[in-house]
Amino acid sequence: MSTTANRPRWTRQLAGLIRKDLRLELRTKETVMAMVLFAIVTLTIMQFGFGTRDNDLTRFTGGLMWVTLAFTAVLGVGRSYVAEREQRVLDGILVSPVPRIVLLAAKAIAIVIYMGITELVVIPLVGIFFVKGPYWDSIGWIALVALIANVCIALSGTLFSGLALFTRARDLILPVLFLPALVPVVIAGAGATHAVVGGAHDMSEYRGYCLFLVGYAILFLLVCIATYDAVFDD
Amino acid sequence: MPSLTTDHASSRVIGTRAALIWGVIATVLVTVASVGVFLSAPEDADQGVIQRIFYFHVAIALVSLVAFAVACVAGILYLRTRNVRWDDVSVTAVRIGMLFSVLVIITGSIWAKASWGTWWVWADPRLVTYLIVVLIYAAYFVLRSSVDDDRRLRYSAIYAIAGFVSVPLSFYSVRIAQSFVHPVVFTRGGANMPGSMLIWFLISLAAMLALFIALLEVELVGRRTERALRVLTLRLESS
Amino acid sequence: MPECLVSARGVGHIYGERAAVADVHLDVAAGERVAIAGPNGAGKSTLLRMVATLLRTGTGTLTVLGEELPGGARRARCGIGYLAHDPLAYLDLSPRQNLQVYADLFGVQDADRRIDDLLDRVDLIARADDPVRVLSRGMAQRLALARMLLHGPRLLLLDEPHASLDVGGTALLDAELAAMRTDGRAAVIVTHEVERIASVADRLVVMRRGRIVVDEPVAGRGPAQVRARYEECIA
Repeated sequence: MSTTANRPRWTRQLAGLIRKDLRLELRTKETVMAMVLFAIVTLTIMQFGFGTRDNDLTRFTGGLMWVTLAFTAVLGVGRSYVAEREQRVLDGILVSPVPRIVLLAAKAIAIVIYMGITELVVIPLVGIFFVKGPYWDSIGWIALVALIANVCIALSGTLFSGLALFTRARDLILPVLFLPALVPVVIAGAGATHAVVGGAHDMSEYRGYCLFLVGYAILFLLVCIATYDAVFDD
Repeated sequence: MPSLTTDHASSRVIGTRAALIWGVIATVLVTVASVGVFLSAPEDADQGVIQRIFYFHVAIALVSLVAFAVACVAGILYLRTRNVRWDDVSVTAVRIGMLFSVLVIITGSIWAKASWGTWWVWADPRLVTYLIVVLIYAAYFVLRSSVDDDRRLRYSAIYAIAGFVSVPLSFYSVRIAQSFVHPVVFTRGGANMPGSMLIWFLISLAAMLALFIALLEVELVGRRTERALRVLTLRLESS
Repeated sequence: MPECLVSARGVGHIYGERAAVADVHLDVAAGERVAIAGPNGAGKSTLLRMVATLLRTGTGTLTVLGEELPGGARRARCGIGYLAHDPLAYLDLSPRQNLQVYADLFGVQDADRRIDDLLDRVDLIARADDPVRVLSRGMAQRLALARMLLHGPRLLLLDEPHASLDVGGTALLDAELAAMRTDGRAAVIVTHEVERIASVADRLVVMRRGRIVVDEPVAGRGPAQVRARYEECIA
């Protein structure tokens, strides 16, 4: 005879985990605030690094935005398992019948949300700091590429933060693992942004970069599905 | 008293003969290729002798991709079977792949200097991609040394898979970016390479492939011997 | 013939190149409370974690609640309750919120009522909405007890429960263990407190260096006798 009748549905498990992460974030406000602040400081430093405010940095917009977002992503992803790690809750979660891929999905969705909130601040700020000329009409396109990129970041980030979880110098290891994998995202994000900013609306370029990002997301999703069990099963 | 001929220690399992055979093949092919490329390959009008390093540059690049692919497949097989011999193959393939990738950058840089007078060109997608590749796989070793025994092999396998997926993604993103900025294609050759050049290119490719396999076998012999020794020591200690 | 809830045959786990657990044969039937004792490093917690599906077996077969591991791990987990040294609770959430997470993970029906019931039983209902961070260690472990029982598991796995439970928690746990004799559940208790074993367990298993050296019934023996037997085994 087998076990008790309860066979939990993954939708309930996923919703419960996301609710838990959002509740924790609302109570401690550690992650999102740090990410937004970090992004603002980085953009400010870059502005000083590139010269006075009178310089027209429009053509660097894409690069500046996406380098900032990449480093902010590393910060945010690094916080993924903090509660489970510091409070040693992970065993409790792993002993439950939750499929490990649902764990990944919950963490990834949280990252997409946190990155989205950060971009709500970063995208307008970049326009104010760096762009002289048309910017605000393209904001919808920039937001779209940011959304796709967030999914890419969330998938590869959650995989690498899972690996970094049990390493010795985990705060150093995560950037080392994650940043090289982020390079294609930065290239595509910056390229797509550059294609629509400053009035030059090269939509075929933009589309090319967006499709690439979709491909990135699909590939990493497949890798995650194939390997995520092995991250946690001892 | 445990038997001294264990599963780990037999010479067939360790693979000494395979290593020797491939060592010989590789030596022969590399010698032939080197002599051939630098002495008898047809001289192109604007190519000097040093620029012939391009033959090896591309061959080494392709073989390093093969190495990382082998590491990825070995990683998948390790996760499926949990047999430590697959991890041996995976980590050794990554090491050789790294070695070859560094050589790609060095040979590419030499070629760039000889062709354009600068040690680095951002316009060469291969050179740029391999810089990223080196960073990706350097992280492999950092990960491997930071994780404790019980997870090390599993996580190395997972990263070998994820890293290999990152390689074409890096390559294509660099390509796409450059196709919008620098429409010039920097690959010399391809299908329109003259026949005589093609032959020497293929010979260099075969030589590098043989070199990869030989290095792989030799390193595997070393690892397996070490493990057999460790296992025997442990058994003797605990009996 | 009572049903077998745990069945281990030749189970081992290798850590690096050393065996933390080797060649373990163990059966736990419905209604049994099995205590595992042994010196530090004997492999007790490792074995418990394997039964809890937290650790994969390197060698041998392990069947828990009718499911062979590791393939059937997910189904087995539906019926396992695990109590560890740490309360396994989110410090910034309240006991109620913590239990809600686990209710979702285990698919508990009528969760709110069940959570209230359990919080009442472990005497945390008054502090149910305070963050766990401000509760005492004893209270946090009582929460852990509630978490373990929330989904009505058939198999309880306890890692040194009496070390961190307070008086109230201990009484509750002992009551649960006593009830098990008749309701078809089973428990495996890893413990250092050899004297307590007689009152809570039916069988004593002693481990040394990863192997089981003794596996015998202790029902009816007094604490001193059990202690003496234990000392004999590890001598």
